[in-house]
Amino acid sequence: MSLAIAGMGWVTPLGNGVDPVWERLLQGCEAAEVKISEQFSDRSYSAFRVPESVLANLGPHPRLRRASVISRYAAAAGLAALQAAKVKLDPQSAERIALVFAISNGGVIYTKRFYRDIVEAGAQSASPLLFPETVFNAPASHLAAILGITGTTYTLVGDSAVGLLAIKMADDLMANEAFDYCLVVGAEEADWILCDAYRRWRLLRLAPPIEPFNKKQRGMILSEGAGAVLLARDGPVVIERTHPGMCYQRRSEAEQVLKRILCDLDQMEIDFVISSANGTFIDQAECQALRQAIPDAFVYTPKPAMGESVGAAGLWQVIVGTQALHSGELPPLLHGESTIPLRTSASRVPVAGAQWAIVLSCGVNQQVAGLLLRKVRDRR
Amino acid sequence: MPKTSAGNGESVSCRVAVTAAGIVSPLGFGLSETLDSLREARDCITRVTRFSVAECRCKTAGQVPDDRLLEGRHRTNRTQRLHRASHMMIRALREGLAQRPGFEPELTVIGTTSGGMSYGEDYYRSLCRNGSLRHSPTWVANYTAQKPVIDAQEAFEISAPCQIIANACASGTNAIGHAYECVRSGRYERVLTGGYDALSELVFVGFDSLQASTAEKCRPFDRDRTGMALGEGAAVLALENLDVARESGTAILAEIIGYGISTDNFHMTQPNPSGIGPHQAMERALQSARISADKIDYINAHGTATPFNDAAEGKAVSELFDRVPISSTKGMMGHSLGAAGAIEAVICLLALKHQFVPPNINFRVPDHGVDLNIVANAARHMALGTVLSNSFGFGGTNASIVIQNFEA
Repeated sequence: MSLAIAGMGWVTPLGNGVDPVWERLLQGCEAAEVKISEQFSDRSYSAFRVPESVLANLGPHPRLRRASVISRYAAAAGLAALQAAKVKLDPQSAERIALVFAISNGGVIYTKRFYRDIVEAGAQSASPLLFPETVFNAPASHLAAILGITGTTYTLVGDSAVGLLAIKMADDLMANEAFDYCLVVGAEEADWILCDAYRRWRLLRLAPPIEPFNKKQRGMILSEGAGAVLLARDGPVVIERTHPGMCYQRRSEAEQVLKRILCDLDQMEIDFVISSANGTFIDQAECQALRQAIPDAFVYTPKPAMGESVGAAGLWQVIVGTQALHSGELPPLLHGESTIPLRTSASRVPVAGAQWAIVLSCGVNQQVAGLLLRKVRDRR
Repeated sequence: MPKTSAGNGESVSCRVAVTAAGIVSPLGFGLSETLDSLREARDCITRVTRFSVAECRCKTAGQVPDDRLLEGRHRTNRTQRLHRASHMMIRALREGLAQRPGFEPELTVIGTTSGGMSYGEDYYRSLCRNGSLRHSPTWVANYTAQKPVIDAQEAFEISAPCQIIANACASGTNAIGHAYECVRSGRYERVLTGGYDALSELVFVGFDSLQASTAEKCRPFDRDRTGMALGEGAAVLALENLDVARESGTAILAEIIGYGISTDNFHMTQPNPSGIGPHQAMERALQSARISADKIDYINAHGTATPFNDAAEGKAVSELFDRVPISSTKGMMGHSLGAAGAIEAVICLLALKHQFVPPNINFRVPDHGVDLNIVANAARHMALGTVLSNSFGFGGTNASIVIQNFEA
C-alpha cells in the first residue's frame, strides 16, 4: 500500500505557500539573514526567520491568542494543506483524520521566558499562562482544536529526522482503514538560546552561508517555520515506501546507517535525492553514502537556501521532492563547490522524466530516516 | 474494531503479547520491589531534594534515589555524562531484557514529556549567571527527548528506530497503544515500548504555578483533594505477535487487547467537565478490544487528584461502568507524566499476575455525586481477568488500554 500526497502547506523564511516558496527556490533565492541577540550575552547569531507579514492572512482563533509563533506556523501550514486538497472537516470526517506532529525543540521562546522568570525572580514569578505553551504537544493541541480533530493526535519528538519518522508513523496509522487522511505537520521556531546551544555543540556557524558537502564543515544556520503534508490514498505523487529509520551511536557510523537506508529504498532507478546536508558532519556521511549507493542520482538540499529548521526540515524536504516531481525541475544548489563528488548543479536542473526520488534525513542527534517518492504516470 | 492492512491489502488483526516488563519508580527498582510497595500501600512521596522548592506551595514529589540508579554499572566518563533519565531507562530495560533475553525490537515507541530537561536548566542557569559552560556540549547533546532511549538501546546493543511520543501526561499510554497497533496490524512482530520522565525544576514549578500540585497529601478521588504530587521513573514493555511468541516458547505475561485515543479540544490544561474526552478514550478501547464494559474487572485511573481531572474521569467512569473497582496509584508514587502510563501498565501486569487491586491511598471521603468503587487505602485481593488503564494530558490528549490475563 502506498500513501498519496493530497495537499501541502509551507511556511518558511522564503515566504508562505507552496507555489511562491517553490518559485523562489527555483530562482536561487536565499532567505534573509536576521541577527538575534539576548540580554545576557554580547554575542549575536544569525538565523533565517519567517517574516511577520507572512502570517497576515492567518485568521484569528481563540487558541492562537496567546500561543507562540510555532503554533501559528503550524496552523497556517496545516490549514493550507487541507485547503490545497479541498478537504473540509465536519464532526464526522474529523474523526477519520489523524494528526501527527513533528517537533524538535518545540516552544522554546516561551520555555525560555518561563524559566527566565524562575531564575531571575523565583518560583513565585512563574507564569501559569506561559507554562502550558512549553509542553511539546501545545502546537498540535492548538491545531487539533482549530481543525476540530477529536480522535488520533500524536506529537513526535526527535532531531531533524523526526519529520520523516512522523511520516512513517502516519504510514502505520493509515494501515488502519478507520482513517481517510493523516495530516503530518512539522514546525519549529528559532531563538537565540537554540543558536547558542548548537554553537556550543560545534554545529552552528555565526553567519551564512551554509556550504553543503564542504569538507570543512563550517556549520549550519538555524531557521524556522512549518511544513504540512496531507496524506491520502490517491494522488499524483505517492510515498511508495517509508523506511522505519535507524539510529547511529557515533558520528562515524552515520555513513553506514545512511547507506543501509539508501539500499533499502533503492528499488528502482532513482532520479534524484533530496538530501539533508546542512554544513555539518552529516554532509560527509551523506556524500559518501550517496556516492556508493546511488552515484547517478542528482542531489539537492534546500538547507543552504532556507536553513536548518530541525523539526520542520523533513516535511520541507518532502515538499521539495514532491514539487520537483510535479514540475520536472530541481532548484539550483546554493553555495556548493564545484568539487562536490556528487551530481549537483548550481543552476536549475531539468528532471522532466523523473519518476523516483528519495528523501533522506540524517539528524545531528543520532536519528536517520528516509522515504521513496514516486510520480504517478498520467494514465490518459 | 477497525480493520488494518499489513501492506498487501489483506485485513490483519494479530494478537499482541506482553513478553517482558521493567520498571523504576519511587515505589522501587524492579517488579518485585514495586509489588511489595503496592501491597503495603506505601506512601513514597517525600520532600523534594533535587532543587529548591522554598517558594513553591508544593514541597513534595515521588523521587527515584540517584545512588541506586548506577548500581551494577561501571562508572565511566560516559555513564557520568548521561542524564538521570537515561539511567532510569537503562535500569528498566535491563530488567525487561533479563526476562526476554535476545529480544530484538523492530521499532521502539517511548513516551516522555520533558526529556533531559534538567540539563537544559543547568545550561540556562550557567548562561544567565556567567557560570562555567565547560559541560555545555554534554548538556545540550543529552537534553533531547530521544537521547535516554537511544542510550538505553545502546547499553544493550539494540539499534531499533525510535519514535518518541510527547502527548503530555498521556504519552506513556499513547506509546503503548501505538506500539500495540503496530503489532496488531501485522506490520511489526516485536516492538519495545514504555515511557520515562525525570523530575525537573521547570516542570515542578510549572505545575505549582497552575496550582495543580498540592501542598498536602495527594488524595485521588477524595472529596477534599487539593492536587497532584509529581513523580518520576521509567517503565518498558516488550510487545510481540502472540502467535509468534507462543510458537517460539516465549513466556507471555499478559495480552493487550484494546486501545482507545481521543482528543478533547476544550482547553489546553483542563478537561471538558462533561468527561467526554476520557469517555471516548475508554469507549474506543472497549470497542477495539471487542468487549463490553462489564468485562473490566479493575480500572487503574489517571487520578491525578486535581479537582478537574478526577471529576471528569470519575464522571466518565461512572457513566460507562457499574461500580468496577478503581484506584489511582499516583497517591503512592506521584504523577510521573510521560512515564505514568507505562508505569501504570506495568502495575496492571502485576495486578493481573498476583490477583490483587492496588490501593488508592490517602482516601477519606467520597466525592459528591460520583458513584465510584474506590479501592481505598489498602490493596484488595480479587480475581482479575481484564483491566483498563487510563492516561489523560495537557492539550486534551486521552488514552486508554485494555490488558488481559493470557490463557494458553
